[in-house]
Amino acid sequence: MVIERLTEIVEKAVSATTNLGANQAQASAFLLENALTRYANSQIHQNVVSKNGGIVIKAFLPDKRMGTLRANTLEESEIERLAEKAVKIAKSARPDEGFKGLPEPEPWAPVEGAFVKETASCTPEYRAARVKEAIETAHNKSSIVKAVAGYFSSNTMYFAVANSLGVFAHARLTTASMKTTVISESEGSEGFGTAEKYTRNIKEIDPILLAEDAADKSVRSVKPTKIQLGNYEVVLSPLAVGTILSYLGYIGFSAIPYQNGSSFVKYFLNKQVFDEKLTVKDDARDPRTFYMTPIDGEGVPKKLKFLIKNGIVSEESICYDSLRAGKENKKSTGHSVPPITRWFYDMPVPFNMIMEPGDSRIEEMIEETKHGIFVTYFHYVNPVEPTKAILTGLTRDGTFLIENGEITKPIVNMRFTDSMLSALKNIPLLGKNQEMVKGTTVTPIKLNKLRFVGISSY
Amino acid sequence: MFSELGRLALEEAMKQGASYADIRIGEIENEILTVKNGAPEEVKFLQTKGFGVRAIVNGAWGFAASIDVNEKEMGHVVEKAISIAKASSMLKKKNVQLSQEEIRQDKYETPIKKDPFEVSLEEKLNILFEAERLLAEQSPSIKASYSYYQGFREKKFFMNSEGAEISQVITWCGGGLMAIAVKSGEMQVRSYPASFRGDFSTAGYEFFESLALVENAKKVGQELIKLFDAEKCPSMTTDLILTGNQLALQIHESCGHPTELDRALGTEADYAGTSFLTPEKLGKFRYGSKHVNIVADATVPRGLGTFGYDDEGTPAKKVYLIKEGLFVGYQSSRETAAELNLGGSSSGMRADSPLSLPLIRMTNINLLPGDWKAEEIVEDTKDGVLMMTNRSWSIDDKRINFQFGTEIGWRIKNGSLENMIKNPTYIGVTPQFWGSCDALSKDDWKMWGIPNCGKGVPGQVMYVGHGCGTARFKNVRVGLI
Repeated sequence: MVIERLTEIVEKAVSATTNLGANQAQASAFLLENALTRYANSQIHQNVVSKNGGIVIKAFLPDKRMGTLRANTLEESEIERLAEKAVKIAKSARPDEGFKGLPEPEPWAPVEGAFVKETASCTPEYRAARVKEAIETAHNKSSIVKAVAGYFSSNTMYFAVANSLGVFAHARLTTASMKTTVISESEGSEGFGTAEKYTRNIKEIDPILLAEDAADKSVRSVKPTKIQLGNYEVVLSPLAVGTILSYLGYIGFSAIPYQNGSSFVKYFLNKQVFDEKLTVKDDARDPRTFYMTPIDGEGVPKKLKFLIKNGIVSEESICYDSLRAGKENKKSTGHSVPPITRWFYDMPVPFNMIMEPGDSRIEEMIEETKHGIFVTYFHYVNPVEPTKAILTGLTRDGTFLIENGEITKPIVNMRFTDSMLSALKNIPLLGKNQEMVKGTTVTPIKLNKLRFVGISSY
Repeated sequence: MFSELGRLALEEAMKQGASYADIRIGEIENEILTVKNGAPEEVKFLQTKGFGVRAIVNGAWGFAASIDVNEKEMGHVVEKAISIAKASSMLKKKNVQLSQEEIRQDKYETPIKKDPFEVSLEEKLNILFEAERLLAEQSPSIKASYSYYQGFREKKFFMNSEGAEISQVITWCGGGLMAIAVKSGEMQVRSYPASFRGDFSTAGYEFFESLALVENAKKVGQELIKLFDAEKCPSMTTDLILTGNQLALQIHESCGHPTELDRALGTEADYAGTSFLTPEKLGKFRYGSKHVNIVADATVPRGLGTFGYDDEGTPAKKVYLIKEGLFVGYQSSRETAAELNLGGSSSGMRADSPLSLPLIRMTNINLLPGDWKAEEIVEDTKDGVLMMTNRSWSIDDKRINFQFGTEIGWRIKNGSLENMIKNPTYIGVTPQFWGSCDALSKDDWKMWGIPNCGKGVPGQVMYVGHGCGTARFKNVRVGLI
């Protein structure tokens, strides 16, 4: 029902826009039903549900002037007015000679398993009950558990897009996630631990498992010690790896930094820039990816694409939408992000990154580490110098010293500032168990060296 | 019309068992223009509208929102908010209490001279195209040159079950320039007047005109190219001078966020983190040197975080966070203020749309001026580094350890700016860093606008202001890369 309504809207919007003089037109419509139960200090403190939707019209005039209009409405009676406004905006703009045209239609097929009824129909009572389980589990773990925080969310997205060249496609997706952060305290010293789960099927979230993991890390994190700054071997959990990989996608594999000259990929084409064990593909049709979808924001069918193949990056690694592809006389690779957020920026990015697994268990990685650091989570990571993929960020929610193959003690959170080109050049061990972490599917990894430059203490 | 819808929603909420309820109905218009490499990259008009209902039932919160502003949908949304609040109450330790605030029926509108939405798109684009052209033509090494404009207007109506009824129109606009140059595999970037698409102010189009993008474009491009010949920032511990367009973000990250009371009370522990400024430190902890005075001020003219009332209907306030170096105040909501018996909210609650739940957000977090002139601070520095315009940023979950990078810097020797330096970075620990602040300027003090502060789950993006000039910090570690 919802998809039918959205497809009617986008067809009418495209037609209205071209009738008003647009040479080409694209319309997309979306409906989001988002619910989130948030908890802290072992009680629910924010509990929200929202129905959000809208129409986005892009009008292109014959001389390549373009205007975009986004409106928070799904009223069919508004379509004519919105089309008029989009055309008016285009008439006030100037031509973009780099625009080579909207995507041509291509065959596409829906993906199985993207939409799960149980997630779409999740109730506030269900979310509250799961949160209760997590809180009780964490407190039962130890008397030093002081507080439990986190969220449990369930979301449904319906999306349809059409253009005047004949593209007509739609998608629906459910996502669910739970995060549990446990805070322990002993003799005035706090310890933190975190665990997260991302899935399309809400029934796959096990709050007890998450709470046990987070509480275990939290209890073991109290009374952390400071260690010397410098280079350390590191064992990174999937949460930490997912953060690093998503930043590489943003600064390296998007066409915008590539064309601007700020992407590291531009300077290392066809070179062995990462360890040969590292292969990362982008595949929105793979059930292992969180944001599973058959099409991108322009209705271009999603296809398998290799971003890193046996440690090598190439021109094939770059992700395009139609506008950026046109500037290089290429075709879109299907990486336009659906314009569903209020602050949307048309930046093509890979958001279905899947790291090919290795054959190690995380316990083996720890056993193989002589003097290193176990990292649960990286906080506030940001690029410092994107052409060298230098990132900075801090450890958080469970950082431990590894000595002679064993975790020996918790350590105070530390800041790393290092080039991922050098850090990921040697990956002695790659995990075999993959986990979804938002737009990435990753395994734990062990690195020979990561540079730590600061400590979170005063 | 909104008044009648609001009244119906609140009556329904109270009838269904709410002990408190409020409703926000709003519409946002957002005009975003970007010119890149001689072509219009973004010519966008974004409209957001809808309403959100908060309700307390059995001592717990519920919130529901929708884009369909009509009586029928209002009924559904109220029902959802109530049922969600009931679900929340399954897991509560204590009942939500709200601080007492003055109940007002009022209207507020951002004072503007020239309505940015009445100025033609053509006029704005003419400025952007000309400024971008001048920027790009400074060197073939410039691979990407951008000019930006953004105009924003939010009409919002607030009503609560205590009798408050507020209508506001908030308008802001601004813009900037940014260019990326590449030479021999090295990349440099330069922005004007600040990073994050420029500078923004609650003001009319006259503010965008005052930025003089066309007049400044050439200098920005020339400075960018000079960076290729600059020396790398040395690794050392030295005196650091920050200009306003970097100091604003330093204030934002290391004072703004840690003084948010929701963080300090643990309710952001799962995402943004907590704060080292925990409640027992209030009024006792030495945050900075005696020169450091920082306020949260929602009343200051032209601040990007300036308004008449926050999204709980609390009148805009100015409160001290740091007074002569001592930590003395929090940014708060009615609920968090009541929890610490602060005597009232700081007027810190805002949502980024009517569909979002209000959170404690920075208004204008201002570092009050000192007695120095900016150039006197340089003249008084024997050996140091001056850094300008943010390029990278990161800070930990308790807001203790930070690292920033800027686009450009200069070595200072014997009181004068010597050679330009590139890729400058610095690292520090918040109380030590602010404790080393020994000079603050007055002559170049101004409000800076940051339009992209992220917080909360689900994530929200808020526009906030920071007043500051130039400041000096002693013994800072610089040159991390």
